[in-house]
Amino acid sequence: MIAWLITVKEVKQHFRDYRTLFFLLAFPIVLMLILGITLTNAFTSEVKLDGISVLVNDASSGELSRSFAAFEGELSHSGIAFEKLKPGMEGREEIGSDHYTAYVQLSDTGMSLYSSSSTTVESIIVQGMLSAFTDKYNAAAAVAQEADSAEVQAVFAGSGGNYVKDESVIPDRMPGSMDYYAMSMTVMVGLFGAMSAGGLISSERVRGTGVRLFAAPIRRSDIFIGKVMGNVVANTLCILIIVVFSKWVFKAYWGAHLAAVIAVLICEVIMATSFGIAANSWIKNGGGRGLIMLVVQLSSFIGGAYFPVADSGIMGTVAWLSPLRWANHALLSIIYNDDAAAAWPAMGFFLGAALLLLLSTVDFRRNREVV
Amino acid sequence: MNVLEIRGLTKKFGDVVAVDNISLKVGQGEIFGFLGANGAGKSTTINMICSLLQPTDGDIRIMDHDIKLQSRFAKQSLGIVPQDLAIYEDMSAYENVSFFAGLYGIRGALLKQRTQEALEFVGLGDKAKSFPKNFSGGMKRRLNIACAIAHKPKLIIMDEPTVGIDPQSRNYILSSVRELNESGCTIIYTSHYMEEVEEICSRIAIVDHGKIIAEGTKEQLTATITDTKDIVIELKNAAGAEGDLLKGLPGVRKVSQEENVIRIHSDASVDNLNRILKQLMAEDLEIRKVEEREPNLETVFLTLTGRNLRD
Repeated sequence: MIAWLITVKEVKQHFRDYRTLFFLLAFPIVLMLILGITLTNAFTSEVKLDGISVLVNDASSGELSRSFAAFEGELSHSGIAFEKLKPGMEGREEIGSDHYTAYVQLSDTGMSLYSSSSTTVESIIVQGMLSAFTDKYNAAAAVAQEADSAEVQAVFAGSGGNYVKDESVIPDRMPGSMDYYAMSMTVMVGLFGAMSAGGLISSERVRGTGVRLFAAPIRRSDIFIGKVMGNVVANTLCILIIVVFSKWVFKAYWGAHLAAVIAVLICEVIMATSFGIAANSWIKNGGGRGLIMLVVQLSSFIGGAYFPVADSGIMGTVAWLSPLRWANHALLSIIYNDDAAAAWPAMGFFLGAALLLLLSTVDFRRNREVV
Repeated sequence: MNVLEIRGLTKKFGDVVAVDNISLKVGQGEIFGFLGANGAGKSTTINMICSLLQPTDGDIRIMDHDIKLQSRFAKQSLGIVPQDLAIYEDMSAYENVSFFAGLYGIRGALLKQRTQEALEFVGLGDKAKSFPKNFSGGMKRRLNIACAIAHKPKLIIMDEPTVGIDPQSRNYILSSVRELNESGCTIIYTSHYMEEVEEICSRIAIVDHGKIIAEGTKEQLTATITDTKDIVIELKNAAGAEGDLLKGLPGVRKVSQEENVIRIHSDASVDNLNRILKQLMAEDLEIRKVEEREPNLETVFLTLTGRNLRD
């Protein structure tokens, strides 16, 4: 209860400090906006396709003509337009002058495809679909030699009318610039928890209030827990504000497992807080603050807060030294690979590191002299 | 019953003995003055009483609770008004008092009542929602006191509670100290202002070089001074009276000066007043007033330690 009293006081003071609010809220949001807008192109992975139109000259009869008509019907739902060759039109010339994506010539002896060289991607798509149609038609023709018409129809029915199969060389969804910076800035703010934690105990000494705290009939552990909890809660609230703000104002994507995302971020704040406390107990008289600043800035830079870091190469390896990289990696998996379990290794890493860091400050907490 | 009992208290910092085998008893209802120059061991003693420093040796009992073995009970009875302000500038006066009272286990409606009472006691009832950063020095000092009394301690340690404030606030604080004492609080009071200690303290201890060198009521202490006297001379303009003008005269032990007033601490057995006045007149200094004062605490302190309290 006493620890909670100190926690509440810490949170109040945190949110009344305009410098802290600027650093933890305004700064990352503004940076998110600037980097998100200016580096949009660096994150674009989309290929814009123009409409696909196919010119058809159907000189065939019988089964091929009927099957192709059914094929046209299915693909028209996918936004591909088929047009009959009109009298007086020359199919190849129409392709040459880029009026159509492809020209298909059907005859009883087979099917020919002419594609436009200026719409390569679209042409490949048409080619792929026609290839799928041809395979199915040939299979049906082979069946027809030894079976009745109903079995032939079953071959086509078995296709389900699906001539388009999505296969991608990139994951289902990749972060846009705003998505990326919303995430990386939030992770960076989590790391900033080290800075406010650096002065948790010393600030009470500087303000003179440590005398009252340590002379009160409470355990030193209550003071310690209350102060740590206060820093964690205050920084977590800042993170939640940034997540909500980026989600609703900047439309950043945070995926379907927000609870896992928040859990990783909270563990990161606990680790950062522990580091801040440890650094200040390792190096006295303000030196700890310098160490914290150095580590936080370096970690932010190499961990990909400002620019995405490649997975391979020296930088890719060095980046793993940064806790920011661990958090970013976990969050990318949770958000974009739909892998909530990716939270566990990151949480384990952060909590383990926090434990080690706090253990390194045991001497400080055992020292019973305050002044 | 003794509210505070100290036996053989010693504190060493390496080879330096800051507090040297101090023993002391403070009874219920006393205002106990604790006098000592800077570095005398006064703050170290107070810090040990407040459990902020661990004694090298000796025992401290507050309300009969040993501060090592029954620390929580001992601390529960203690209120501290530190010399340096111990308040949060970014929390309102109410929040400050309420937070510190909460550390003593006071909750709910009682906490609200005690907080309001403490603020009203120090004259800040109407400033409950204001932030100390907007307060004058005197108001901050009063809030500093409010934070120490909301949990109604039996023993309050006031370390220089009036330092650096205006006379009006000082008077307010001194009357508050008396009022607290009348309500049953025992108070340990330290100050550099000897007149404050003389005015409010029922018993006084003088600390020097880590030891208590004198202890008793004001009357008991001044009665011990029979071999020295204080001569106070007011000049029209003291320019030219500086330096060693009077120091070599027979019987003169120490000369101090504040603006146009010269204070001469001298052997009582030596009749040197005429020689002092002649010396001043020889320097063309116009004398306005001459007074030979009865020994007071300042005289006692000076006689025992060889220096002024504010040196």
